[in-house]
Amino acid sequence: MSVVVIGLSHRSAPVELRERFAFAGEKIPGALQALRAAGIANEAAILSTCNRVEIYAATALAPEIAFAEFKKFLVAHHAFDGALGDEIYALAEPHSLHHLFKVAAGLDSMVIGETEIFGQLKSAYELALAHQHTGARLNKAFQRAFNVAKHIRTTTNIQRGSVSVMSAAVELAEKIFSNLAEHEVLVIGAGETSEKTARALQSRGVKKITVTNRSSERAQALAAELGAGTTTVPFEQWPEEFERIDIAVSSTAAPQHILDRAKLGPLMKRRKNRPLLLIDIAVPRDIDPAVNELDNVYLYNVDDLQGIAAEYLNLRKEEVARCEKIIAEKVAALLAQQNLR
Amino acid sequence: MAWFTDRHCFLLAVLLYGSATVYSVFLWRKGFRRDDWVNYFLLAAGVALHTLAMTKRGLSLNACPVNNLYEATTFLLWALGLASLAYALMPRFKFICAFAAPVLFTVGIFALMPSLDPPHGPKPEFSGALRSLHAATILQAYGAFGLAAVAAVMFLVEQRDLKLHKLRALLSFLPSIQRLELIATRLVAVGFILLTVGLVVGWLLPRKDGAAYFADAKVLWSGLLWLVYLEALVAHKFFGRPARRFAVGVIIAFAFLLLTFGITNHFSGLHN
Repeated sequence: MSVVVIGLSHRSAPVELRERFAFAGEKIPGALQALRAAGIANEAAILSTCNRVEIYAATALAPEIAFAEFKKFLVAHHAFDGALGDEIYALAEPHSLHHLFKVAAGLDSMVIGETEIFGQLKSAYELALAHQHTGARLNKAFQRAFNVAKHIRTTTNIQRGSVSVMSAAVELAEKIFSNLAEHEVLVIGAGETSEKTARALQSRGVKKITVTNRSSERAQALAAELGAGTTTVPFEQWPEEFERIDIAVSSTAAPQHILDRAKLGPLMKRRKNRPLLLIDIAVPRDIDPAVNELDNVYLYNVDDLQGIAAEYLNLRKEEVARCEKIIAEKVAALLAQQNLR
Repeated sequence: MAWFTDRHCFLLAVLLYGSATVYSVFLWRKGFRRDDWVNYFLLAAGVALHTLAMTKRGLSLNACPVNNLYEATTFLLWALGLASLAYALMPRFKFICAFAAPVLFTVGIFALMPSLDPPHGPKPEFSGALRSLHAATILQAYGAFGLAAVAAVMFLVEQRDLKLHKLRALLSFLPSIQRLELIATRLVAVGFILLTVGLVVGWLLPRKDGAAYFADAKVLWSGLLWLVYLEALVAHKFFGRPARRFAVGVIIAFAFLLLTFGITNHFSGLHN
């Protein structure tokens, strides 16, 4: 009996196709039961996320026969009547185990090194385990995959750094301020990106968030979305907040700069030159780049943040070779262990 | 082993500081990305030998080894090295060793110049508990100022990277700039208190007839240092002097201290 994997992912199929083959969570136990009842798989688990639909199985059938059966099952189960080319991939040992380990470590994800897939894979396995659709072969393979993913996370830089604009902004704040719980944030403009950035800062425990917007209704709506500890100020009064706040996130639709050096200079004196992080995610920009020349002012615009995220992503890509080597060793060790039995 | 003197011990310590300096260059080039213990252990081994050198000298004198420029400088460096090792145990502060090592190495080389360590007479010129307290507190103050300068350099490096939007600012295992600023300020404050205590104790010491305390070159120089650090602290804490200017001031003040420390001794009646 060997472990095989068959499925489709963001690498092989567009979203229109992936959504056709997606399994709803509550239907997975039934699908697993059907697979086993049909004699295609002795053990099975289904992973169904927005980026991939995969069946991991331990089967006594020869891989070529098993792959044809699995494909037939997928097509029939989803009543798919379209044409299929290379969108569905099928892997036998050792490639199937290698793939499982890569998926667990986030190496096959759209954003390399992301950790969400680890939890999704764990849930898929636990669901199969709870319904007794796994056995010695899959249990060993999945448990080893989780261990390898943890090992890779701790010994390589694959998950290091921020690969989104929002998390890059939070990381910057933590490089400037010792403890975010002591600092207040001003959100200028109630757009979607500023909301996401505010939420990211909120998740790191900032002291308080104040929202201001030309339309006070939108400011109040965002403050309500962000929850307790968030207040609003009229748009005309936001400069006065600069005496109190230490981080400002700006994303208004203003056609020209709303904050320049002449305006910020006196405000910095009133702040007694405490450090100030300005995150300008507006296009066109809200903050004059010249303010970065002021002492204790740190200005980052959307390009700077995207640049940070892109550089981090490149660093992660550089780590892939190291991770692949670890995975190859661990797969070889697992197969050697199984061959001894 | 009679040939193995305290100076040999100190020489070995300086060589270890030198190795740590070379290793620091590699760490710097790699952007302080990995949490590294190598430099810490190099520095710790150096400080251990340094301590042994000072103990040997102290036992041979039967007094605190602060009787000439060599001894005063090694005492100052010892305080700086020990404090660096202690601070390096704080989260994200391990790389303070990489910044302290070049100071320990270069000043250590200077201290090894034979002319700074003339042979002692039958009795140390600088004996007595009060004299030892005076010298020790002042040299510890210089050590604190030195470490403040090291923290200030770390601050300026990180602040520059943040200003210029360099990824190194995020990748490095250095503390936040606010924390570095706080540490530098606290170290200047500690150094200032120690310097004040040292100067007051010095004033209480018995002097040769006719020797005026406040007319002595070294006392005037120390008074100037006292004023410089007081001004830096007050301007930064109470008048909002930007952290970058404070950091630059702390580095310049310590460089001035190091460069003029030996010269003022030659012009000091009380210290010769």
